[in-house]
Amino acid sequence: MNNSELDAKLKAAREPVLPADYREDFPRLVLAGLRSAPRENRRPRRLWLPRLAWGMATAACILIAFAIGHWHGLAEAKAGKDALANTKFIQETLAMFPNRVRAIVQDERGVNLVLSDTENVPASTPIYVRICDGKNCSSLVTFSGQEIQIAGQKLTVLSQPDGGIILEGNRFVWSSSEPVYAGRKLKIEAKNLGATTM
Amino acid sequence: MGDMEEQQTWIAQSRNGDHAAFAALIRAHQPMIHSLTYRMTGSLADCQDLAQETFIRAHQQLDSFNGTSKFSSWLYRIAVNACLDWRRRETRRSQLHDQWGQNQTTESSGANDGAALDELSREVQAALMKLPEKQRAAIALTVYGGHNHAEAAKILGCSETTVSWRIFSARRKLKKLLSKIGDCHE
Repeated sequence: MNNSELDAKLKAAREPVLPADYREDFPRLVLAGLRSAPRENRRPRRLWLPRLAWGMATAACILIAFAIGHWHGLAEAKAGKDALANTKFIQETLAMFPNRVRAIVQDERGVNLVLSDTENVPASTPIYVRICDGKNCSSLVTFSGQEIQIAGQKLTVLSQPDGGIILEGNRFVWSSSEPVYAGRKLKIEAKNLGATTM
Repeated sequence: MGDMEEQQTWIAQSRNGDHAAFAALIRAHQPMIHSLTYRMTGSLADCQDLAQETFIRAHQQLDSFNGTSKFSSWLYRIAVNACLDWRRRETRRSQLHDQWGQNQTTESSGANDGAALDELSREVQAALMKLPEKQRAAIALTVYGGHNHAEAAKILGCSETTVSWRIFSARRKLKKLLSKIGDCHE
């Protein structure tokens, strides 16, 4: 079959005949459709909104990255000493990430910051905890209600109204009022850092 | 279709909200748009919907028609785009196409060559529906719309070479698909 034969065959194919009343009514149908169709929004689209959101998110990320970098600088400067004994360092860290610091941990690897994804850490009196397992010691500053991993232990730190502290681990419960039993060979120390409250 | 001057008047009046002028534009162009939308969809119901959608889109975009091309070419372009957006209604298309084919056979069964033509029409349309949409659009514009490759390229928004290649590919497939049918009716 050559092109001419194909074209002849294609052109021989009829189209359905549209009813006369449909053809007559068609312009009216379109005009009715125009009235019911949503009017084209000629106002400029608010393209700046998503751009602004992206911009703000990027700025927030940069700010957080800068703050963490700055914090690491501070932490490294203090690392040689007992960073968590430095009240100013703790205050600066808490001020840098308001309601997001779950814990500042210092162990053999250095000082680490445990941050919450959102600002959901309630402002309360910071609690200092130090755990030694015979060989290594880790210390942290955290807040009541936080669940923290330290020295291989998963602990929930709780502050009592009388200022006492309870550490609830998987295999033991330790209380500042009964500091003797800490299970195995753990040596635990905990205290409220009242003056450091932000 | 009215002459170019008259058409320009209708366009200007339509832009100013004159629905009677736009109705005149619709009447002048509706056969060619219905033909295109039918060839693109193979469904009478979808062809009518798409023709309506084409004119509604045209009215909404009338301000963007700058007169550098023919109004009919501009309208064709809107119709082709509406047809390419039509994929989501493909299920409905196939159902209605089958239904239409059955109806046509029944309606024309009284005429001797009418039945044969309808059979050919159905087979040709079925073959067209087996083409990729852009190849089908190229065939619809050139074979049924009477446009040359350059005009079809403008409507489809691609190069003339692309149109030529699509038509070449489409013809090759159509020849295979239609080689065994319709010979006795030629």
